[in-house]
Amino acid sequence: MEPELLLAAAAALGLAVVFTPLRVPRASLLTWGLLGLAGMAAIVIAPSLDLVILILLVLAVLQARLTSNREFVTRLRAPVLAIALLALGLAFERMQGPVVLDRFGAVGIVAGLVAAIGLLPYVHEFDPDESVVASPIPWMAFIGPPLAATVLSQANQVIPSDAGDAFGAMLIGLGLLNMIGGSLGSWRTQNDASAWRYSFMADWGLAMCGFGLAIADGRSAALLMLFSIVLGRLPLYLWSRQALREKVPTDRPLNLVVAAVLAGSAPFAGFPARVLLLRGATQLYWPLALVLAAGMLLWLPSSLRLGRSMGVPRGRQAVGVAIVLALNVLLGVYPQPLLTLAGL
Amino acid sequence: MVEAAFVAWVGAALVVLADGRRGLALGLVLLTAGLAVLAWPAGMAFGAIAIAAGGLVAAGQCLRSGPASWGIMPAGSTPRLIICIASGLLALWVAASVTSGTGAPLRFAVLLVVGLMGARILISHEPGAVLAAIASLALALGVAPGLAATSPGPVAAIVGALIAAGVMFVPAGLARLASIPLADKDGA
Repeated sequence: MEPELLLAAAAALGLAVVFTPLRVPRASLLTWGLLGLAGMAAIVIAPSLDLVILILLVLAVLQARLTSNREFVTRLRAPVLAIALLALGLAFERMQGPVVLDRFGAVGIVAGLVAAIGLLPYVHEFDPDESVVASPIPWMAFIGPPLAATVLSQANQVIPSDAGDAFGAMLIGLGLLNMIGGSLGSWRTQNDASAWRYSFMADWGLAMCGFGLAIADGRSAALLMLFSIVLGRLPLYLWSRQALREKVPTDRPLNLVVAAVLAGSAPFAGFPARVLLLRGATQLYWPLALVLAAGMLLWLPSSLRLGRSMGVPRGRQAVGVAIVLALNVLLGVYPQPLLTLAGL
Repeated sequence: MVEAAFVAWVGAALVVLADGRRGLALGLVLLTAGLAVLAWPAGMAFGAIAIAAGGLVAAGQCLRSGPASWGIMPAGSTPRLIICIASGLLALWVAASVTSGTGAPLRFAVLLVVGLMGARILISHEPGAVLAAIASLALALGVAPGLAATSPGPVAAIVGALIAAGVMFVPAGLARLASIPLADKDGA
């Protein structure tokens, strides 16, 4: 799953660089994007979770160096908290002792992962006017997906089966929290850029529930959700930045189509992800499927709002939006080749 | 080994309690010495050398930047002192009483340093102190694989040492200065 997500991140970077407006300095976007990509590649090929944590530390320091209204120290806090939690969780898993220690370890690893990505309850400080590269968005939508897949895959090797249930339950619990909190926040918050940020959290909530189910349908759903974040929501967010600044809501057919992509409706990539997630949840514990289905309805109002905030893409951005829509239709209609490639 | 764990505790406490470059550098030296000695018998002989080298480079660089003072326990540092003592006692209880098996001093040092450095970065506003804490955290993460039942090899220790040494070369003043112009009208 990790190499596929790495390729998706590379494709998202390519889209962002090629189809971004001419005024944006492409060289710096490409430089920092490639640096992030190199870090992600190192995370994916790292043989142990210790090395993943160390690479994460390097990425955190490098990102905190970028120009921002927020202070260097402030921007380091959330990633360092994540690193400390992951390291403590891993240390607990390695120690010989009572089962409760293994469960504490599982809690530490999940909490650390959530803090690294910037999800509830460890939300990174967000400045809507900050450049995307220096903001918490790359943690959620660029570095986050391969990182989460790698950490969860490596964690499964160190967490004993006794603590496996606690691990899955933590993922599902935090997934539900993010799903509901993210979609409500995206709907109700006043600032449109913040609404986009919350919408990433909501998508992550579904992905975490998929990982927590620990069955093939759940993992497939998680992979598709992460693809829809990297190849759908992230480029659309990048291209909506100018319209967000101009604050001109638009109600054209294209905005409705974008809203449909963001809401995960058919035939886009989010739809099979949601179907697989509901099927997996029904197999495991049907009331969970009921909660998930009710929560999925919350995507509608926020997606309509975000779709309107896109404005009217012109020139290169319009081509980029068309490519993103086509990719999402392709993944929505034919998800099986991707799932087969990922061994699911 | 118990002595090395105690030295690591004192070093970590100094990094938490000091605001001046001399205090931070001394803390880094003590922490490095403790962790390197603890890493050696954990099947990480080469890793211990790397940790020692990385930590000393970090301490040397720390001594060259920031306020030229010791700055140990300035006014208002009582909460930091309490954190140092409480985390030491908690780590001691977990390493010696809750868990079993050999390597209790290493368990104590890893839990203590990771916890204390995390706290230091969360409560600190001084870039120099935060960089010293990050270097200390990297050193602790480098020796943490020694907790595994099997010999971990030196890779993590070498990477941790490189990060510890490298992070201290990030100019502390950068926290307040614009380094690379990325913000733009389109916000990408």
